[in-house]
Amino acid sequence: MNYIFDGLREAGRLILTLDADVMDAAARSLWVSSAAVILAMLLGIPLGVLLARVAFPGRRAVIVVSRAAMAVPTVFVGVVCYAMFNRSGPLGPLEILLTPWAIVIGEFLLALPIIISLTHNAVASLDARVGETAWTLGAGRLRRWLTYLSEARSGVALATLTAFARCVTELGVAMIVGGNLPDRTRTLATAAALENSKGEFARGLAMGILLLCISLGVTCVIARVGRERQTS
Amino acid sequence: MIEVDNLSVSKSGQTICAVSSFSLAEGEVAVAVGQNGSGKSTFLRVLAGLERDYAGKCDVSVASRQRVFVHQTPYLFRGTVWSNVMYGLKAHGVANRDQHAENWLQRFGIGQLANRGVDQLSGGEKKRTALARAFAIGAKLILLDEPFSEIDDEGTAIITEVLKSANEATIVLTTPSDRYQRLESAKELRITAPAQSAVASGKN
Repeated sequence: MNYIFDGLREAGRLILTLDADVMDAAARSLWVSSAAVILAMLLGIPLGVLLARVAFPGRRAVIVVSRAAMAVPTVFVGVVCYAMFNRSGPLGPLEILLTPWAIVIGEFLLALPIIISLTHNAVASLDARVGETAWTLGAGRLRRWLTYLSEARSGVALATLTAFARCVTELGVAMIVGGNLPDRTRTLATAAALENSKGEFARGLAMGILLLCISLGVTCVIARVGRERQTS
Repeated sequence: MIEVDNLSVSKSGQTICAVSSFSLAEGEVAVAVGQNGSGKSTFLRVLAGLERDYAGKCDVSVASRQRVFVHQTPYLFRGTVWSNVMYGLKAHGVANRDQHAENWLQRFGIGQLANRGVDQLSGGEKKRTALARAFAIGAKLILLDEPFSEIDDEGTAIITEVLKSANEATIVLTTPSDRYQRLESAKELRITAPAQSAVASGKN
């Protein structure tokens, strides 16, 4: 049992002294996940509104596929991205394998279905009077869509935070297409896995605790947004 | 401005609204009177262009952007009374928006509520906000679904006064009772259950 307490003590020291390796992995985790989620928001939010408000052939199928894709294993996405980005793959000439941008794209693919599905849910469950009121007051399509997002903003915020939580804690994509290279592609999740496999329990634990803190922080915000949504 | 002939709306094979004949000229006010479930709201929705699946004739010679419809229980967007009234004014690109908004809030007796959040309004205040928002855009055809429900006597008097003085607009409103009696010049349309027919009658 002692090694666990020693590990916890050492983990605390690494975090409090802002250990360079730990902070480097934490910073990379945050920016890579943020970039992936922002890109997913740019595409996923309009698609979510489109699915909720515009009828077109195959809409039902797209909704089902995006919901199913929310649970796709991160390792599977990592393997697919590897197949695309490796030298002989169709996107090999881009030479982004083993760079943070490969992780960004992989995590973007993880975040996208979450943002599409949860935005669709939030907008589709709006009161029918929202669209009717906006239309009858003379709002054009763009203004109506912005109104839907404004009225469903708690749900859209929930979608974004859920996607971020999924990205920042994932291991499969970062490990397979990032390669866990120090100072280049190492994230908190890959670093925690590596340090643990090397027997560096304290360092692995420090990374894990930081990851846990980020997840807990995001979960608290999700819970708060969820409460606001219920009361609004 | 409005010509209706043998209009009927059906949902799931059941007729939910039937109006045999109705016409209204520009600047006139009409009141559709009928019990709950008689199809008054559906009739208004057809006139507004919100309900397009109907049989019969319904000619409204006003562009859809010049019609405004207020639900029986209006929906106010998140924000304040002021931001709600500004919504339609911005959508229509109206000049002097502040002046218009101020004017209509005063006319509906809610000028002092301009900065209040919509979640802090009573039912009657919400209704008056929605009416001010609708009238502010200067639509040619104003359709009001039970504007006097959930309104106290003071509110009823204010709304009635606005309706009487809005000469530039054509107005159709619904009511389940005779609370519109003070609109002496209003044309009346009795709407009964869809199995029976509805005929417009002048009431002066």
